[in-house]
Amino acid sequence: MSDAENTPSDVNEVDIDAVYKESAIQDVLDRLDAELVGLVPVKTRIREIAALLLVDKLRRQLDLTAGNPSMHMSFTGNPGTGKTTVAMRMADILHRLGYVRQGHLVAVTRDDLVGQYIGHTAPKTREVLKKAMGGVLFIDEAYYLYKPENERDYGAESIEILLQVMENQRDDLVVILAGYKDRMDKFFESNPGMSSRIAHHIDFPNYNPDELVQIAKLMLAESNYRMSAEAEEVFSEYVKKRMEMPNFANARSIRNALDRARLRQANRLFNSRGRMLTKVDLMTIEAEDLLKSRIFAQGTDESTQDDDE
Amino acid sequence: MNSNGSGQITDAAERYKSGVIPYKKMGYWDADYQPKETDIIALFRLTPQPGVDPDEAAAAVAGESSTATWTVVWTDRLTAAELYRAKAYRVDLVPNTGPGTNNEAQYFAYIAYDLDLFEEGSIANLTASIIGNVFGFKAVKALRLEDMRIPVAYLKTFQGPATGIIVERERLDKFGRPILGATVKPKLGLSGRNYGRVVYEALKGGLDFTKDDENINSQPFMHWRDRYLYSMEAVNRASATTGEVKGHYLNVTAGTMEAMYERAEFAKSLGSVIVMIDLVIGYTAIQSMAKWARDNSMILHLHRAGHGTYTRQKNHGINFRVISKWMRMAGVDHIHAGTVVGKLEGDPNMVQGFYDILREPYNAMNLERGIFFDQPWASLKKVMPVASGGIHAGQMHQLLHYLGEDVVLQFGGGTIGHPMGVQAGATANRVALEAMIMARNEGRDFLSEGPKILDEAAKTCSPLRAALDTWKDITFNYASTDTPDFVPTTTGSI
Amino acid sequence: MITNPTGRLTQGQFSFLPDLTDEQISAQIKWALAHDWAVSIEYTDDPHPRNTYWEMFGLPMFDLKDPAAILMEVNEARKTFPNHYIRVMAFNSTRGVESPAMSFIVNRPANEPGFGLVRAEGPGREIRYSFHSYATDKPESERY
Ligand SMILES: Nc1ncnc2c1ncn2[C@@H]1O[C@H](COP(=O)(O)OP(=O)(O)OP(=O)(O)O)[C@@H](O)[C@H]1O
Ligand SMILES: [Mg+2]
Repeated sequence: MSDAENTPSDVNEVDIDAVYKESAIQDVLDRLDAELVGLVPVKTRIREIAALLLVDKLRRQLDLTAGNPSMHMSFTGNPGTGKTTVAMRMADILHRLGYVRQGHLVAVTRDDLVGQYIGHTAPKTREVLKKAMGGVLFIDEAYYLYKPENERDYGAESIEILLQVMENQRDDLVVILAGYKDRMDKFFESNPGMSSRIAHHIDFPNYNPDELVQIAKLMLAESNYRMSAEAEEVFSEYVKKRMEMPNFANARSIRNALDRARLRQANRLFNSRGRMLTKVDLMTIEAEDLLKSRIFAQGTDESTQDDDE
Repeated sequence: MNSNGSGQITDAAERYKSGVIPYKKMGYWDADYQPKETDIIALFRLTPQPGVDPDEAAAAVAGESSTATWTVVWTDRLTAAELYRAKAYRVDLVPNTGPGTNNEAQYFAYIAYDLDLFEEGSIANLTASIIGNVFGFKAVKALRLEDMRIPVAYLKTFQGPATGIIVERERLDKFGRPILGATVKPKLGLSGRNYGRVVYEALKGGLDFTKDDENINSQPFMHWRDRYLYSMEAVNRASATTGEVKGHYLNVTAGTMEAMYERAEFAKSLGSVIVMIDLVIGYTAIQSMAKWARDNSMILHLHRAGHGTYTRQKNHGINFRVISKWMRMAGVDHIHAGTVVGKLEGDPNMVQGFYDILREPYNAMNLERGIFFDQPWASLKKVMPVASGGIHAGQMHQLLHYLGEDVVLQFGGGTIGHPMGVQAGATANRVALEAMIMARNEGRDFLSEGPKILDEAAKTCSPLRAALDTWKDITFNYASTDTPDFVPTTTGSI
Repeated sequence: MITNPTGRLTQGQFSFLPDLTDEQISAQIKWALAHDWAVSIEYTDDPHPRNTYWEMFGLPMFDLKDPAAILMEVNEARKTFPNHYIRVMAFNSTRGVESPAMSFIVNRPANEPGFGLVRAEGPGREIRYSFHSYATDKPESERY
C-alpha cells in the first residue's frame, strides 16, 4: 500500500456541529447537569463516552470503520447514589448517539435471570435478554448472580449466557451491572471474564451534606413544594444527623424524609381548620414538619416512624 | 286543506279521495324525517324529467319503491300506511351539474325505508323493492342507485361470506401477501386435456389459483366433467411438486340450480378448495351457492359477469359499490372489483371504495371514495376482492399500493402470454410479488422505487426480466366514466 | 428432489427469492414488531401442505422491542434443527384478523425430498388424491 492512500486528505469533511445538533445530545447533558446534583466524576465520564460515540459516528460517515467500541459498564456505589437514575439517562444517550437502536432500559435482579430448577435458568435469562435487545440491560446487585458457596447454583449458567451475548451481540444491547463497590470488586475478581468485558467502571461517590440539601430542594420543586427558610436550616441539621445513622441511603433517604415531611405538613394543615389556606401554605414545608422527626426527638414515641429512620 | 310542514295532506278524507295527487302530498316526502337506526337508506342519483320538481321526483321514487301505485287506493287505509311509506327526506344538487354548468341537473335523493318492508335474508326481496320498478319510471329521465345504508339489524339476517378472507388464508396457508391467480386462456376452445396443462404449468410456476372464465361452463369443446377431472389432476400435481395448497376456480354456473349443485358436489368430491359462479345466475342462486359453500367448507368465487350493463353509466343504473354490498351480504368469498391500473373501467378512488366495502369491518363515510354512509358490517366476514384484466408483473408496485395485501391479483394474459411459456409467466409474477412485499416490509418507498425493485429482482430471475421487457409499455389510459363527484379534480384511469 | 422451478418447497412469503440473509430477516421482523405482531418460530420435518401445526420453538414472543432478540432465537433454532424446515410467523391479534399476518421460511434441509402424489381411482374416472411426504418414510427421529 502506498503512503498516499493512508494520508488523510481534506477532501472529505464532516460537519461535527450538524451531527451534534441532530443527536440533541447537548439537551440530555444539560438536563443531566440540571436534574442531578453533584456526581461530577460520573458526569465527566458520561461526557467522555458521548464524545467518543459522536466522533465514532463522524468517522463512520467517512468510512473509517473501527468496529463498535464496547459499552458495557459497571456502576458501583452506595445505595441511593443515583445508579439506576443514571442508567436510565445512559440508555437515552446511547440511543441518541445511535449506539443502541431502541433506547429502552430493562432493570432486573438475580430473580429475573436465575431459575429454581434444572433447565429453568437458560430460558429465563434469554427471555430477559430478548426484552432488552436494542436497549440497556441493567442488572442491580449483580454479585448475587454468583454464589461460590453453593456449587450447584444456577447463577453461573446465567452468567455464562450473559457473557456470550455481551461478547457476540455488542451491537444489540448494552449491559450495565450495578451494586456496592466492595462486593462488585469481589464479584469481578472471581469472574474475570465478566470484568474484562466491562469497558467502563464508574464509581458513584456518596453525597456530602450540601449536595443532599440541594437534592432535597430539587425533589421538592419537582412536586411543587418548598421549604421555609427556617425549615431549610433544620433540614441541614437533619441531614447531618441522618448520615451518621444506620441504613443511610443517600438521596433515597432524602426522598423518604421528604415524603414523611409532606405527611406531617398535611396533618398540620388539617388541624388548622377554621382559617383560609393560601397557595403558599399548601406548598410550604415548615420547620415543625421536620422537627417532629425521630432524629430530633430521640427516645420519644413517633407515630410516623418507618424503617428508614 | 290540512297539511303538515312537508306539504303532506294529513286529513284522511282528503288524502284518500279517488284520483291522482302528487307523491309529495301522499306522504313520501318529509324534509324533517330523522332516519331510524333500523331504517334502510337508499341514495339515488336522479335526473328529473324537464319541469318535474326534484322533491316530487324523489317522492315519486320513494313511493314507487315502497307502497304507492299511480293512483290513490282505499286499501291503504287497511294498513299502518304511514310506516310502510318510504320517505324521501333529503335532496341535494349533484356538484358540477345544473344551472351554470354544462351538465343537466342531477340530484342525490336520500330515501329511508322501514325495516318491516323487507324479508329477512333475501337479496331478491330487498332488490325487488329498491330497484324493482322505479328505474323505468316516467317522472325520472334517468336514475342510478348510488349507495345504501344497511342497518345492522338487517345485516344480521344474512349469512355473509361463506369463508371470508381470514379463514381462506388459513386454509390456503398463505399469509402476508396478495394471492396470485390467472384465468386460463384462450377463454374458449381448449379441450379438457389441454386446459389442464395450462392449469398445471401456471400453478407449478408459482401461482396460487387458476380460474375458469365466466363463459366456460359445459360446451361442446369441453364438457364440465372433463374440465373438472383434468383441472384437479393439474392442481394436485402442482401441489405435490411445490408443497403448497393450490386451487382452480371450477365454474359451476349452469342452467338450473340442480345442475349447479351437481357440479359443485363433483368439485368437492375431487378435493377442490374453491368453486366459482357468475353474477348472471341471479341473487337467489348466489345466496343458495353461498349457503352450499359454507356447508361444504368451500371458497366461493364470483365473477361479476354482466355488471357493466348497469354499473358503468354515471346517470343510470346501479353503482358497483351497491353490488359489492349486496354480494357481501349474499355471501360470496371472492368478487372481481377492479384493478385501477388494468384494461377495465375503474377510477382509483372508486375502486378503493369498493375494496373498502368488501374488506373493512366498518366503513366511515368517505365521499372521495364514493362512500355516502357510515356502514358497520356487523361481523359479516370480509370478501376478498379480485383484480383482473390487463395487469402484468411490471405494475406490481402500483397494484400493491392501490389494492393492498388482501386481494387476488389475477394475471391472465400476463401469465399465459409470457414469451417463455406459462410456467415462466407464473414465476415472473410470483417473484415480482415477493420482491415487492419484501421491499415494502423493509420500509422502502416501494411505489416510487417499484421499477428499480423489479429490475433488482429480475437479475436472478430471467422470466421476470422477459416479462418486464415484453409489457413495459402497456398501459390502458382511458378516462373513467364512473368517477367520484366529490373530488376537486377527477382522476383518470392510469 | 422437488421439481418446481425453484427446486424447493415454495410455502411462505419469500420462497421464490434467494435465501434471506440475517439482515433481511431482521428487516422483516422489524416490520412485524412495528405492527405489534407477536413473532413466533416453528419447525417441522414434515412440510406437508396440510400440516398446519409445525412444532413451536418456544412460545410466540410478545412485547419485544428489537429484531435482534428474535434473530437470536432464529439462530438458536437453526443450531438445534439444522436440517428441518424453520419458519418465522407474525401473529396479528387485531379484532377481525386474529390470525397470522406473515409466514416465511428461514431454514431448509440441505436436500428437500418433496412429495409423491397418490391417486386412488374410483368409478367414473373419479380420482381421490393424497400427498405423501417422502420425509416421513423414516421414523420421526431419523428423518434428515
Ligand atoms: N444526584 C441526584 N440528584 C437528584 N436526585 C437524585 C440524585 N441521585 C439520586 N437521586 C434520586 O434518589 C433516588 C434514588 O436514586 P437511585 O435509585 O438512582 O439510586 P441507586 O444508586 O440506584 O440506589 P440503589 O443502589 O439502592 O438501587 C431517586 O429517586 C433519584 O431520583
Ligand atoms: Mg437502584
